[in-house]
Amino acid sequence: MATRDSLIQVKDLKKHYKNGAIKALDGVTVDINKGDVMVVIGPSGSGKSTFLRSLNLLEEPTGGAIIFDQIDITKKKYRDANGKMVKLDIDALRQKMGMVFQHFNLFPHMTILDNMTLAPIQVKGIKKAEAEEKALTLLDRVGLKDRADAYPIQLAGGQKQRVAIVRALAMEPEVMLFDEPTSALDPEMVGEVLDVMKELAHEGMTMVVVTHEMGFAREVGNRILFMADGKLLEQGSPKDIFENPQHPRLKDFLAKVL
Amino acid sequence: MDQFIQLDNFSKIWPYMKLFRQGLLVTVLLSLFTVLIGFCIALVLALMRMSNVRPFRSLGLDENGHVRESGVLAWISRFNPLDFLATAYVEVLRSTPVIVQIFIIYYGVFSVIQLPSFQLFGFIKFDRFFPGVVALGMNSGAYLCEIIRAGIQSIDGGQTEAARSLGLSQAQNLRFIVLPQALKNILPAIANEFVVIIKESAITYTIGVQDLMSAVNAVKGATFVIIEPLLVATAVYFCLCFPTSKVIAYFERRMSHGDKR
Repeated sequence: MATRDSLIQVKDLKKHYKNGAIKALDGVTVDINKGDVMVVIGPSGSGKSTFLRSLNLLEEPTGGAIIFDQIDITKKKYRDANGKMVKLDIDALRQKMGMVFQHFNLFPHMTILDNMTLAPIQVKGIKKAEAEEKALTLLDRVGLKDRADAYPIQLAGGQKQRVAIVRALAMEPEVMLFDEPTSALDPEMVGEVLDVMKELAHEGMTMVVVTHEMGFAREVGNRILFMADGKLLEQGSPKDIFENPQHPRLKDFLAKVL
Repeated sequence: MDQFIQLDNFSKIWPYMKLFRQGLLVTVLLSLFTVLIGFCIALVLALMRMSNVRPFRSLGLDENGHVRESGVLAWISRFNPLDFLATAYVEVLRSTPVIVQIFIIYYGVFSVIQLPSFQLFGFIKFDRFFPGVVALGMNSGAYLCEIIRAGIQSIDGGQTEAARSLGLSQAQNLRFIVLPQALKNILPAIANEFVVIIKESAITYTIGVQDLMSAVNAVKGATFVIIEPLLVATAVYFCLCFPTSKVIAYFERRMSHGDKR
């Protein structure tokens, strides 16, 4: 049931293709609470990325509901507080959900600083000087202040991903979505990105993380979801999941990755 | 035996240099206006082709308000009349010869629409020049549309996802993220199209536009010298086209910061 701290409620979420022949998501129900660090694990093709991308509607679900800010965001229209039908403002919604991608997706034609200030200036209408000051503060936090004028191509993978994280943070989102943020990185760069995410978690940011980093899941996550074949098969604390797995698919999965 | 090129023939055609100068001016003006019109048409067409206007959209939602994935209703709901019209235009224009299009515009459309017959700069017949520009512009619009569309589609989808996830609208994404990167990618293709337009404009002499090619014809008729006027035209066309592609290559290099290499 929805608690007072519930931020996003996902109800029976479905994503079907080809008239239901392919079920990328097949009825996922979960509550994401404020301050949760929810780590989604599972074999490839299990639907964990589709689940994450549905949360900010980069994928359009074909069934179920996602309640965010008391609104079912899977519907194109909803009834507002005055009972009037209004159109869902998807851009306003996405501002509140930061997203970090596997392949960073920095804008290659802009400097790091411009990458970070574009959305605050254009979407939130913040003054340029103010946005730049804030961007530099954020860059400083991840140790990249001196690269503000560089172009993304000049950065290493780990640096790019750290920029991508603070670029999303510059919009002051309520929740951060991470889609395999370390999967495209060279092994020696994984740590620096996980450190930033760890710090973010300790500050109380609500996070949903799809990852193959079991160490991170165990150490930082407070809730682990295990998905396979588009279904949420098991969820629990890291202790439950890693030390006392119930579902045979989970046992099998852990045997392979640990 | 006659020589292929005879130097004294150049002195024969020398008195007609004014015709070449006028022809050069017409060719340049013709190309510039064609590019201008072509680019405007292309931009509109490309936006039409990528638009999301779906009058039957509501048929694609099921009773719960979710998007249908398949079936006739889903297919109808995706029908975009703007995309359909623009695609039809592009395919027809690209699949028929330019000379046919020019004749249809000149003898067809502009026999119905009466153009005022005055002369630009005292010698360019407007009622020939204008149909020429319209026909060439419509034609290059179709090609430029495909260039622009391909350029936009060449941008990695992750860029749009990142932009939208930051809260940028579709229009802002196009303006700040996609178009700047696309423009850079398509500059070589656009340069090539500019050069093609300059060369193709020669065909408008068939409807009496007094361009470079028509100057060649006029000089030929007056002096019975054929090869030498053609060589003059060759040199002039080369001097127009070659620098054009070089200038654009320069801008290409200037815009290339942040590129993968």
